[in-house]
Amino acid sequence: MTIYSLYVYDRHCACVYYQDWHRSKRPKPAVEGGILNAVSSAVSPQIVVNTNAANSSAFSSPRNTLMSSTGIVVAIGEETASPVLQPASSEISRSSTLPFDEEAKLVYGVILSLRNMIKKISGRDEQFVSYRTSAYKLHIYETMSGYKFIMLSDPATDGLRFVLRQIYNGPFLEYVVRNPLVPMDSHEQGIDNDYFRASVDRVVRGLSVFT
Amino acid sequence: MAIFGLWVINKAGGLVYQRNFADGLAQLTSNEYLVLAGTLHGIHAITSRLSPTGSSSGAQVIEGESFKMTILLTATGTKFVLLTSLTETTADPVLQKVYEVYADAVMKNPFHTPEMPIRSEGFDSRITALIGSGLP
Repeated sequence: MTIYSLYVYDRHCACVYYQDWHRSKRPKPAVEGGILNAVSSAVSPQIVVNTNAANSSAFSSPRNTLMSSTGIVVAIGEETASPVLQPASSEISRSSTLPFDEEAKLVYGVILSLRNMIKKISGRDEQFVSYRTSAYKLHIYETMSGYKFIMLSDPATDGLRFVLRQIYNGPFLEYVVRNPLVPMDSHEQGIDNDYFRASVDRVVRGLSVFT
Repeated sequence: MAIFGLWVINKAGGLVYQRNFADGLAQLTSNEYLVLAGTLHGIHAITSRLSPTGSSSGAQVIEGESFKMTILLTATGTKFVLLTSLTETTADPVLQKVYEVYADAVMKNPFHTPEMPIRSEGFDSRITALIGSGLP
């Protein structure tokens, strides 16, 4: 039993957050412009170092004064991207996997189609809850504001909707909604920040199904 | 504990058989069922590519809040989909039986054209014996 990954989508179909655990087949980094800033440093497009000088002026924002070099970062994605160090293990099984932006679109496409299908078949305003294949199970929780929390786990796990709800009620409200440095609904920024990431990590690692 | 419906989807994604057994879900037109079957066919292919670990089959069970769809993919690409209540535990064995009935009453029927809609009284009556008529 284990948890593989977590995706958060906003109501504009954009992936705004991604985190994974125990995932043996990791996605390739997204192509430039494929995903928003501040979704996950592990799958962000890798920037070649020598373009940094050119970008630094274009991306300078008045908010940059808040980016201290000490302490914990409360909103990221505004600083110029630094080359990301990929863990060596993730280089191994890269060949047949999709780039992250493609994968994020496929996940969204599947849940959107299934949501519509469930609504159509039931004839009521019924939510799609989960699906299972031989290798994984996908759980979804949609908030009133259109944020979709999607978790991939081991196929044998029971419903994890309560966990997604817990992530929404706890870390999401505390470190994203109540964080003035995270622009929500911005069409250009994800919601990644160190507090949120650490807090989600704590919730997930504390689950009995996480081993 | 209820079985709401059965779909048979051919390997190209066309709906070749559809039957309702119990009330509880929306009554759709045959055109709407065709569209849903095609969508399911596409989703099934994508779900096998989203595996976070190793290779994966396509979706086997899809759950809503009041019902679930259990999908049996045969080696030839035909899909049997059973719509049941969430607590129904016999969905998998019923689908295996449906597959057997399909092999006996449809594939062995010399008048049946493969991949075309199933119009066979023999199949209908054996499914009725297996699942029930849906009529009170």
